[in-house]
Amino acid sequence: MTMSKQSLLVRDERTTRRNAAEVRFRTYGLCAIGIAAMALVVLLTTVVSSGVGAFRQTYIMLEIALPEAKLDVMGTRDPAVMAKVTTFGYAPMLRDALLNKLAEQEITTSLSDKDVAGMISKEAVATVRNHVLANPDLVGGTVTLDVLAEGRIDGYFKGRVTMQSAGLDRNTSPEALQIAQSLADAGVIETRFNWHFLTAPDASDQRPEAAGLGVAILGSLYMMLVVLVLALPIGVAASIYLEEFAPKNRLSDLIEVNISNLAAVPSIVFGILGLAIFINFAGLRQSSPLVGGLVLTLMTLPTIIISTRAALKSVPPSIRDAALGVGASKMQSVFHHVLPLAAPGILTGTIIGLAQALGETAPLLLIGMVAFVREYPAPYSETAGLFGEAATALPVQVFNWTQRADPGFAERASGAIITLLVFLAVMNIAAVLLRRRFERRW
Amino acid sequence: MKDTNVIEGIQTMTQQKISAKNVQVRYGDVVAIKDVSVDIAANTVTAFIGPSGCGKSTFLRCLNRMNDTIDICRVTGDIHIDDEDIYDRNVDPVQLRAKVGMVFQKPNPFPKSIFDNVAYGPKIHGLARNQSDMADIVENALRKAALWNEVKDRLDSPGTGLSGGQQQRLCIARAIATAPEILLMDEPCSALDPIATAQIEELIDDLRQNYCVVIVTHSMQQAARISQKTAFFHLGSLVEYGDTGQIFTAPSDPRTESYITGRIG
Repeated sequence: MTMSKQSLLVRDERTTRRNAAEVRFRTYGLCAIGIAAMALVVLLTTVVSSGVGAFRQTYIMLEIALPEAKLDVMGTRDPAVMAKVTTFGYAPMLRDALLNKLAEQEITTSLSDKDVAGMISKEAVATVRNHVLANPDLVGGTVTLDVLAEGRIDGYFKGRVTMQSAGLDRNTSPEALQIAQSLADAGVIETRFNWHFLTAPDASDQRPEAAGLGVAILGSLYMMLVVLVLALPIGVAASIYLEEFAPKNRLSDLIEVNISNLAAVPSIVFGILGLAIFINFAGLRQSSPLVGGLVLTLMTLPTIIISTRAALKSVPPSIRDAALGVGASKMQSVFHHVLPLAAPGILTGTIIGLAQALGETAPLLLIGMVAFVREYPAPYSETAGLFGEAATALPVQVFNWTQRADPGFAERASGAIITLLVFLAVMNIAAVLLRRRFERRW
Repeated sequence: MKDTNVIEGIQTMTQQKISAKNVQVRYGDVVAIKDVSVDIAANTVTAFIGPSGCGKSTFLRCLNRMNDTIDICRVTGDIHIDDEDIYDRNVDPVQLRAKVGMVFQKPNPFPKSIFDNVAYGPKIHGLARNQSDMADIVENALRKAALWNEVKDRLDSPGTGLSGGQQQRLCIARAIATAPEILLMDEPCSALDPIATAQIEELIDDLRQNYCVVIVTHSMQQAARISQKTAFFHLGSLVEYGDTGQIFTAPSDPRTESYITGRIG
């Protein structure tokens, strides 16, 4: 073989092949990123387009006459006495109020009075009753209240229900939608931002329009507090001990392997553990954020320990030498020098662990957090103790709503997913910001 | 080398500070140091030279028990400082390390301000009664380390923002701030340029007035320039120990001669 003189201006075959391989590899990479980005876009657009409706709600403005003869026969204005009138007693007043509105707007209809009353949410009677019981002096006069429209009417204004679908629906009719449209044109029916979705408790199967995330958000918040208070100190203390103080022997190796394995254990296993230990053995209350928080703590601990150990490991050994060299004790060198340098990593790990716990559903199902809860759980109560009152959690609420028949709940579920995603995004952004802030200290 | 010969006369009168007898160090099953016995005098610069992996750094780290931090490291034999056994069970390495300061190969200032870097040692040992006391200690240490004039206006800026040579002098200031009697230096100039090296060498010579300095170095020229005593380590044993002038001009062991003439190492 002769070595002919090769010009630099001409690429030889090897170089051409190598360059082609590189171009191919880059294309694969771009494709992978493109697919991932597309999947994300599709996911987000589906969730947002089906869930954004949950953040808007249709209300009917009604002037409701509150006759004393019906609501407070004795004339005491005592809420305790007036409470004897159940929600059934209020239903006719709402119906009359809506019929009056129709008459006022000169809308005629072939629908029966009952069907017209059906345009108002079943939740509305309770709203009015609570309002009256809170303000007994209103009795005998007229009160102007925005009450929830029924789910189908609400759906019509959000585009979920059309004239065609209403024709096939036993719960509503095209006529009702036409009335609703006329009322909306007259400004009686209005669709606006729905704070209730974030604050109200769950509602029963018949009233998706009234369902909210209040209890779920509160439950999730309590659980996050429990997780933060337990998992952060325990996890950080355990990692510092394992990383800096524990002798390296077979026992510590075993512990290390087990911690890594625990991080990979399916979360539902932690649920069974929680059920067996915290509820059946320790006798804590089921459905309580305390038990949920404990289970999630167990689940989060490996994540926090692993990331904390990684953060501690990444602190250069020369810093430890420097501290020990001037006569710092082992503990001083860890707490004065290593820990502050590892803090950003620890924080990030903790927040990621918390975010993971926030989105966890399976273990909570097993400890009864899937229950239907309408009472806001108090952080502390005499009977239930700290975080002992029944609650649900955001992901469980999503799970719950997706199982219900009314299409209104599908929209609510997507809305809840958006809320969950927003919380997760906020936590992750907080992690990034905290990291930056702490790292800026040279 | 003439200078060192002159100094020898003074140094024979100084008392001995560190005395090591039959020191053996093992990392697990590997013997890193075999039966090293050496007496190191106060107010002297003693240089440890030898090829890489000969155990000179390991031996240095025995003198302030930094080897304790390595799990598998076992030290046997006797090391006495001022006639006290530093491996006695009653000795707390923390107290020992305040007395025996150390400067490392790579400058390793804490990621804190220059002031805090120097003040850290005195703070944890409770050497300063109040703020102005501490300021005095810091200023003194920085002056002794020949760094004061360069940093006096920016004591609050981060120590990691200094140049390599300045960082190393900061580390020396940090080591002498705890008022040690002995300074151990593990190749303090190996990461520095010639100018910074010259500054540190000058500094080491000054430090001899107050401290017993033990320095590990790869550079034979450096050992010849700054030390009065030199110990040559080879394959874990102490081959030859004596006055620097004698080691470099008339080594008694053929291995020492081979090393300083560049045939081994």
